[in-house]
Amino acid sequence: MATAENATFDSVDDLDDEQREAVKDLLLRLADDELVIAERYTEWQVRAPTLESDISLANIAQDELGHARLWYDVVETFGYDETDLIWERDADDFRHSTLVELPFEEGDWADAVVRSYLYDVAEDIQLRALEDSTYAPIRDRVGKVLGEEDYHLEFAESWLEHLAADDEGHEKLQSALDRLYPYALTLFEPSDEDIEETIVELGLRDEELVGMRDEWHDRVSSYLESIGLEVPGLDLPEQYDVHVSPDLLPEHVGRDGDHTDDWEALLDEMTHSYEELGRDYATHIMDDDE
Amino acid sequence: MIWEVFRQEKAGGYHTHCGNVHAPDREMALLFAEVQHGRRKPTNSLWVAPQEEIGEVDTEDANFGGTTNKSYRFARTYNVEPAAEEVEASEKELTEAEEQRGEA
Repeated sequence: MATAENATFDSVDDLDDEQREAVKDLLLRLADDELVIAERYTEWQVRAPTLESDISLANIAQDELGHARLWYDVVETFGYDETDLIWERDADDFRHSTLVELPFEEGDWADAVVRSYLYDVAEDIQLRALEDSTYAPIRDRVGKVLGEEDYHLEFAESWLEHLAADDEGHEKLQSALDRLYPYALTLFEPSDEDIEETIVELGLRDEELVGMRDEWHDRVSSYLESIGLEVPGLDLPEQYDVHVSPDLLPEHVGRDGDHTDDWEALLDEMTHSYEELGRDYATHIMDDDE
Repeated sequence: MIWEVFRQEKAGGYHTHCGNVHAPDREMALLFAEVQHGRRKPTNSLWVAPQEEIGEVDTEDANFGGTTNKSYRFARTYNVEPAAEEVEASEKELTEAEEQRGEA
C-alpha cells in the first residue's frame, strides 16, 4: 500500500535496477493489454452488426492504441525503442493477459461485447489504483486514459442490455461469458511474484492484484446478474491472501509470458509487413509528441 | 430506427443538423452520434431526435416568401456615413435576397 513515507520517483534516473524492473513490468502489462486488444478489435472492421457499431468499435480500438502508446513511451525512457517493444519482441516476452489475445469466435458479436466489458471494468479498476502512483510518469498519464474509458464501458453496457433482452442474444452472451471468464481472471495474475511484491511495496500501484480482482468480480457480477446472466463463482482459497486457485485459470495465463498459440499467430500477422519489407526501424506517419 | 443528429459547436450557439445515425434507442443513438459527429470537429453538445418525430413543410405545400421584392422590410432609409453596423448587415441581407431571386 502506498503510504506517506513512500518516496516518489520523477523519472527513470531515480530508480535502482530492481525498481526499474518493477516499473517496466507494470507498464508492459498495461501497454501490451491495450495493444493486443486493439489489434483484435480491428478484426471487426466492416464486420460489426451495424455501420455505427463498426465505427464505434474502431474508435475504441484507436483509443486503446493511443493508450498503449502512452505507456510504451514511458518504457522507452528505460532505453528501448519501438522496434524492441513491438516489432522485434519475442512472443513470450509480451506480458498481456490471454483474455485479449484470444480470437473472437467466428462472427460472434456477443464475444466482442462481453470481452470488452470484462476488460474495460478491469482497466477502470487498475487505472484508479494508479492515480496516486509513486512513479510520476505513470500518475501523470492516468487521467488522460481514464477520460476516454467511460465511453468504452457505456458502449459495452448498452450492447449487453440489448443482447440480453432476447433469448438468442442472452444465450450467446452467457456462452461467451462462460468461455471468457477464466481468461479474464488472468488480468489479475502477477507476471512474477517478486516483481509484483516490489510494485506494491514501492507504491507504484496502491492496490494489490487480489484486491482489484475481488472488486472486479463484485462489480462485474452485480451488473451482469442484473441483466439476467449467471457469473461463475470466484471461490476463494482458504487462505485469503493468495491468487486464485489454478483450476479456475485457463492453461495459459499470458502475464508470465506463457501465451496461447493464437498469440504467436496474431503477432506474426501484426509484424508481417515489417518482416516482409526487411525493416529494422518503426515507420511513423506522424511526428512524435514533443 | 433513424435518429437525426444536431451539433452545437459552442455553448449558446444553435444546434445545426449534421447527419443521422441508425440506432435502436436514444442512448445508443447518442453513443453513435458522439463518435460520428463529435469526434473530429469542436463540439459542445449533440442532440438526437427520432427522424419520424421531425415535422416538415416544404415548397410544395407552402409559399415561403423571399420570392418577391420586400425591400421595404430592410433598413435602408436611415443610411448615414459611415453606415451603422445594423444597416450594413441589412444591406447585405437585401443584396443576398436579390441574388437568390436572380434579380441582382
